[in-house]
Amino acid sequence: MTTKRIGMEGSFAIAEAIKLARVEAIAAYPITPQTHIVERLAEFVANGELDAEYIPVESEHSAMSACLGTSAVGARTFTATASQGLELMHEVLYVASGLRLPIVMTVANRALSAPLSIWTDHSDAMAIRDCGWIQIFAENAQQAFDLVLCAFRIAEDLTVLLPTIVHIDGFYISHTIESVELLEQKVVDKFLPEYRHPYPLNPDKPVTMGAFGPPPIYTETKKAHEVALRDSKKVILKVWQEFGKLSGSHYAPVESYKTEDADVLLLCMGSFSETAMMSIDKMQAEGQKVGLIRLRLWRPFPTEELRQAVSKAQLLIVFDRALSLGGAPPVCSEIQAALYPLKTKPKIVSFVGSLGGREISIQGFEELINNGMNRAKRGKLDEFEIIGVRE
Amino acid sequence: MEKRDKIIEIRWHGRGGQGAVTSAELLALAAIEEGKFAQAFPSFGPERRGAPVLVFNRVSDKTPIRARVSVINPDIVVILDPGLIYITDVTAGLKEGGVIVINTTKAVVDIKSEFNGSWKLAVVNATSIARDTIGVPIVNTTMLGALVKATDIIELESLAEPLKERFGARAKGNSDACHRAYKETEIAELSGVVKKPTKTFETETFPSWQELLPGSVIPEAGNAKQYRTGDWKSESPIWDHQKCIKCGICYLFCPEGCIGQNKDGYFEANPYYCKGCGICARECWTEAIKMVEEE
Ligand code: SF4
Ligand code: SF4
Repeated sequence: MTTKRIGMEGSFAIAEAIKLARVEAIAAYPITPQTHIVERLAEFVANGELDAEYIPVESEHSAMSACLGTSAVGARTFTATASQGLELMHEVLYVASGLRLPIVMTVANRALSAPLSIWTDHSDAMAIRDCGWIQIFAENAQQAFDLVLCAFRIAEDLTVLLPTIVHIDGFYISHTIESVELLEQKVVDKFLPEYRHPYPLNPDKPVTMGAFGPPPIYTETKKAHEVALRDSKKVILKVWQEFGKLSGSHYAPVESYKTEDADVLLLCMGSFSETAMMSIDKMQAEGQKVGLIRLRLWRPFPTEELRQAVSKAQLLIVFDRALSLGGAPPVCSEIQAALYPLKTKPKIVSFVGSLGGREISIQGFEELINNGMNRAKRGKLDEFEIIGVRE
Repeated sequence: MEKRDKIIEIRWHGRGGQGAVTSAELLALAAIEEGKFAQAFPSFGPERRGAPVLVFNRVSDKTPIRARVSVINPDIVVILDPGLIYITDVTAGLKEGGVIVINTTKAVVDIKSEFNGSWKLAVVNATSIARDTIGVPIVNTTMLGALVKATDIIELESLAEPLKERFGARAKGNSDACHRAYKETEIAELSGVVKKPTKTFETETFPSWQELLPGSVIPEAGNAKQYRTGDWKSESPIWDHQKCIKCGICYLFCPEGCIGQNKDGYFEANPYYCKGCGICARECWTEAIKMVEEE
């Protein structure tokens, strides 16, 4: 079903997915490392390859606001941003999800200032953790392409109607050229039929959107939102299954790598998981019982799948790529919350690293796993450690 | 006075613009000035002139006040607008032996049949007192005088400072209003014998979370029409066709959009929605519109 493998930058693969998805409206403001995506889309629109309204705006706040409008009238809508841009959108993100507008966005993950950093980590993603969007992490250009296509199907499902973010690591996915297999237009058309919002803004059939929610109703709206986001997992699973059948690429909320006999599991998110796989290969070859799990789905949080994935492990080493300054690292604290009620659960060691684009090598992940095992042996589980920091 | 452990709870019923919030604030400040513990807070909402509003007080001699929640079972209710008794259940939750203080043109005998309970009823024509003393029908400070008369919640003199602070040059009028109301308030004990069938009031109902459409979209566009803002008014605009030049300015300025043109080309307000804000009268440059008090 797929076309032949071609070499392509991750950003361009995403732009191809947007074109194949026949997106009708794009509003975006350029920001490194996301810019290539929307530049390519602007070209597609300008040269007639994509029949969409491209709205150049003066800021990310406006970009997301324009997306609210285009999505509210029922247009398939896309945007992309990163880091400070995502933060500038922050308040509008909540409006998009609260209004249940199925906007799709890619975030090319990048550290937050200050100090100014254009390089990748997950600070931006974690800062919008609670914004009520579906959030999915990709690890390479192929996944970015696939998951963006799936994102529209998920977001626009009439039982879901929630905006969806596909997180891609800045540079490591956005600016990396690698091989990608695109899908043919007719395959995508079948997978992603035309979308109709059930209650669009339409002067011929007016509705009120975004009305006041005084105390007697606000809690109900939030409960409805919460349930919709949780329940979206069923649709996510169904869509990924269907996509797997047509493309051969299979996705799951929590994905395991060589975990069958593993006592020790490393947990990662994003592109560095692939580097970590190499470390796992090496360590397993040396007879160590280590494996890797990755959170593909971040919101709704895949509690069941996580519990299942770690059910046989004795030690879980969680690698966060963001700090919750003054608190526990964000991913690890959620993992701990999800596992806390279980009678038998692995010990958990928490590390933070790769902040602001600092790399972690294959050997680095090996050291991290060994370090984690040491800490567990010494019973040092109460504090997280920032790794690779100069003393 | 003997110090009480008890917390006295008050619920004020007014309309946006009548100053109920100010009354409750002044009462709390005066009580605190006396060394008591007190609290005043409104039921926060989208404030609109004329809309029914609730404000709450708690006052105690000895007990610090912790409850940060609306008053459900008041010891005292104060009603700034007599019309409110027909649209809201002003005595809801009022304790036995509680006090009702109401602004009305009616005498005690004529209004007491409206209330079914063994309560104390205090009536005062606050609108007329306010007009005489302050010059405008804003009855908040007047009603404070009536409240103090009907209850021993604070000493009347304790209001002097807070009134001065709040009103500056206008303090005298407000203080006069307060004192006159203190003198003129009539008090009666209600027997609690039911004389009229208990009124039923429309209660608002809200959907469950399952009933909400995605994004809480409201598919009945323009449903604000169902909201009878005409209930809010204490004054109505009256048009003088001799002066009207049919310019339509009043129509343009009416915030409620309730002014229309009749077949003779004159403008008139739809009483169902006109909330008596007086903007049309103020904007009409030929002074063809007068605001007259509602009965
Ligand atoms: S503004 Fe005055 S003069 Fe003009 S139409 Fe209205 S009432 Fe008549
Ligand atoms: S008083 Fe005049 S301006 Fe105000 S709502 Fe009534 S008609 Fe409209």
